[in-house]
Amino acid sequence: MHELSMADAMVKTILEAAEKNQAEKILEVTIEIGKLTMLNPDQLIFLLEVLTEDTLLEDSEIHIEEIPVEIECKSCDYKGLTNLDDSDHYLIIVKCPQCGERDLKVTAGRECNVKNIKIEKSD
Amino acid sequence: MHKIAEVEIQHDIMLANKKLAKRNQRILDKSDVFAVDVLGAIGSGKTSLIESLIKKMNVKIGVIAGDVISKFDANRFEQYEVPVVGLNTGKECHLDAHLVEHALEDLPLEKIDLLFIENVGNLICPVDFDLGSHIRMVVVSVSEGDDTVEKHPLIFKDADLVVINKVDIAEAVDADDEKMVSDARMLNPDAIVIKSSLKTGKGVDEIINVIENFMNK
Ligand SMILES: Nc1nc2c(ncn2[C@@H]2O[C@H](COP(=O)(O)OP(=O)(O)OP(=O)(O)O)[C@@H](O)[C@H]2O)c(=O)[nH]1
Ligand SMILES: [Mg+2]
Ligand SMILES: [Zn+2]
Repeated sequence: MHELSMADAMVKTILEAAEKNQAEKILEVTIEIGKLTMLNPDQLIFLLEVLTEDTLLEDSEIHIEEIPVEIECKSCDYKGLTNLDDSDHYLIIVKCPQCGERDLKVTAGRECNVKNIKIEKSD
Repeated sequence: MHKIAEVEIQHDIMLANKKLAKRNQRILDKSDVFAVDVLGAIGSGKTSLIESLIKKMNVKIGVIAGDVISKFDANRFEQYEVPVVGLNTGKECHLDAHLVEHALEDLPLEKIDLLFIENVGNLICPVDFDLGSHIRMVVVSVSEGDDTVEKHPLIFKDADLVVINKVDIAEAVDADDEKMVSDARMLNPDAIVIKSSLKTGKGVDEIINVIENFMNK
């Protein structure tokens, strides 16, 4: 799996932003992961913890928020969330919740977004 | 004194790859190269299919061959005297747009009409990474089991062309190739699904037709 390169890119992005803002410590990090990405949140957190040893990110709290899947149906013009059932989360890409058709476009749920950080800095 | 501040970042890690992929496509378009992503499970027949296409198609073909550590596939293509760049992904389980960008630098694009980019054999990891190619071809074979398609819906959702390969041995491995075809159609009504055997040559002409149609679009 490619969590390692993703985690690596995230750490770089976060440290860059922290430096730009003269952070002395990073308290919290929020990351959004689309439900349809092939990323495993638990593995991601583990890797982030390993990669951030001895950096400003060490000991910061990592929050991962899942972005739900949204679709646009090409048959009935339905736009929005799919009602997704965790036990079977793949089926949502198959069917529109309104008309049941399968011809649709996924408009959200594939992100991997470093959203924000909470930092400590001197006045 | 210390103060606490919230810093908005809003940086999509996937976006960097998407941007690079778009740039790759612009580079390809400038040289009139049509690029086909070739994805699929390990050993499904990706290299064999590209070899058949090199032998049968009347266009100038080039290949980028991604592999985890070896250059085996790249060496196979070199026999046909087509331009080839082998990419070792090392620990990674997929190609990304950045790797492909470097491969494009090493290819004589002006001498290529059709470029195949063979990804690492994997039905999961490559899904999130556009490379800049014009169409995605997914190759699976009956020997992976006839539930392979339904187990990996996302890769089929993004495919333009799905090849169900090794139908010559379907019976021997007790696999229902028609089920694989209908699963792929169910997951992606827009994709073209073709059954093939690279041993007997079945389906190859059909695949060529489809690729040529996409090229002329
Ligand atoms: N019987 C049969 N064997 C096939 C067919 N297509 C490929 N093979 C065999 O399957 C094996 C793997 O084929 P490759 O073309 O190397 O598969 P690949 O997908 O490129 O493999 P990796 O790049 O290692 O993932 C080879 O031994 C091929 O000869 C087919 O249609 N029928
Ligand atoms: Mg191969
Ligand atoms: Zn609908």
